[in-house]
Amino acid sequence: MSAAPLLSLQISAGYAGRNEVLRDLSLDVEHGEILGLVGQSGCGKSTLALAIPRLLHMKNGTVRGGIRFNGRDLMGLRKSEMRKVRGKSIALVLQSPIASLNPALRICAQLEESWLAHCSGSSLECRRAIGTALENVSLDASRETLQKYPSELSVGQAQRVLIAMAVLHKPLLLIADEPTSALDAVTQSEVLELFSTLNRRFGMAILYISHDLRSVAAISSRIVAMADGRLTETADPERWLGQGTQSQALLAQR
Amino acid sequence: MKRLRRAALAFLAIVVLASLLAGVFAPASYDFQFREVSNAACSTHHWLGTDALGRDRFSRLLFGTRVSLLLAPAAALISTLLAALIGGVAGYIGGKVQRTLMAATDLSMAMPWMFLLITVRAMLPLNTGPAASVVITFAVLGLLGWPAAARVVCADARRLIESDFILHARAAGCSEACIFRRQFLPNLRPVLMAQFWISIPVFILAEANLGILGLGVAEPLPSWGGLLQELQGLAATSGRPWQFAPILLLIATVSCFHLAIERKESEA
Repeated sequence: MSAAPLLSLQISAGYAGRNEVLRDLSLDVEHGEILGLVGQSGCGKSTLALAIPRLLHMKNGTVRGGIRFNGRDLMGLRKSEMRKVRGKSIALVLQSPIASLNPALRICAQLEESWLAHCSGSSLECRRAIGTALENVSLDASRETLQKYPSELSVGQAQRVLIAMAVLHKPLLLIADEPTSALDAVTQSEVLELFSTLNRRFGMAILYISHDLRSVAAISSRIVAMADGRLTETADPERWLGQGTQSQALLAQR
Repeated sequence: MKRLRRAALAFLAIVVLASLLAGVFAPASYDFQFREVSNAACSTHHWLGTDALGRDRFSRLLFGTRVSLLLAPAAALISTLLAALIGGVAGYIGGKVQRTLMAATDLSMAMPWMFLLITVRAMLPLNTGPAASVVITFAVLGLLGWPAAARVVCADARRLIESDFILHARAAGCSEACIFRRQFLPNLRPVLMAQFWISIPVFILAEANLGILGLGVAEPLPSWGGLLQELQGLAATSGRPWQFAPILLLIATVSCFHLAIERKESEA
């Protein structure tokens, strides 16, 4: 009998006027695994990504059910306690890298804010942590890069900055919602490579959400498919690609 | 286009400088009466002649420009701050607060402005001093000028609150204070600056309109509005084209202002 999963949830979620986006969906993520979640666009993948760190209300959505994370019930946490979980234990990487960065702040200032959200210490410690995080995502930590504004970065660089921000506090779980869909093929494979390196190095679990089955199969240790607000299939990647399942339909779609 | 903008900026700089240094450039004080030469034509002594009370028109134009050009930005500042406060709070909080504040804004926009301005101005005692009248005129303009700007600010604040980067900041665990100070305010700045700049010419014109009705800056202090009042009645101005100098300066300044900020906006 293995230990309890890192994340275990059973939730329903919806928006005003669109009630059942997630229908009693249950999902487990084990410690240190890369779980791929595939599904067509509009099936509720992004809703799930926002529901786990309890941010769905920002999109005027509501969640019912239970989310157990690392032995705690997230749904029962107070706002201030939940804030301490976000970024510290659960990190989120969103779909559009440039839009996820504050256009008015330099890269270094944004990384500093992320660090200050959970740590207090000298500016030297902060700079060291940022330096390490940038190294981890193989982004050069020169003054020049840090002084840039988001609009001066390439999409690939911006995504690396976001991943650096996400791994700044070495979270237990990283939720990546279509992290490569805005990237070109080469950068895409680089970022995928980066995810699996980070997973190996820190033992960080990753919930990798995408509609692109190839990229999911490339890095995941387990894949689940989602349709219509529910999980429909679950399998290991090799079996998945070979079989005539829903996955074929997804592949054909590309 | 660039050249035109440069010319506009140069013109504005000259006008501002000349009005700031009115004390140095003006041949006489704005209220000094040359009693023996009232209603004089242009001459080397009085470049734009003198008015019915024998005051040097050129001096009054310089001092009047100072009043209008210093106080229109002050009024713009008041109205932009109000718009930032009301629109910003409405957009940041959203929901019921937003609906209530925007309803109040709509209501304010439905008011008959001219009537209100005239009423407020008319309620002031007749013996209000010139300096007080200046402050009151522009404060009232500033206090009444916020609603349209507040709507724009609210829409922009809403866009920011719903943006990916604020969502991402929340996902990173940033506190509400940090989100407000580092994510929200810096990104609201451009729209506030734009509102500030575009409202300056509006207030210059508003003061001129009030002045024509005799409800602006009180005598003997000159302002563009007060100077335009003199132009009422064609009979008084016929054969004296130099009397049109204030209106030409007003139109030129406001046009140059528009040219300069239009360019600024498109660059931003």
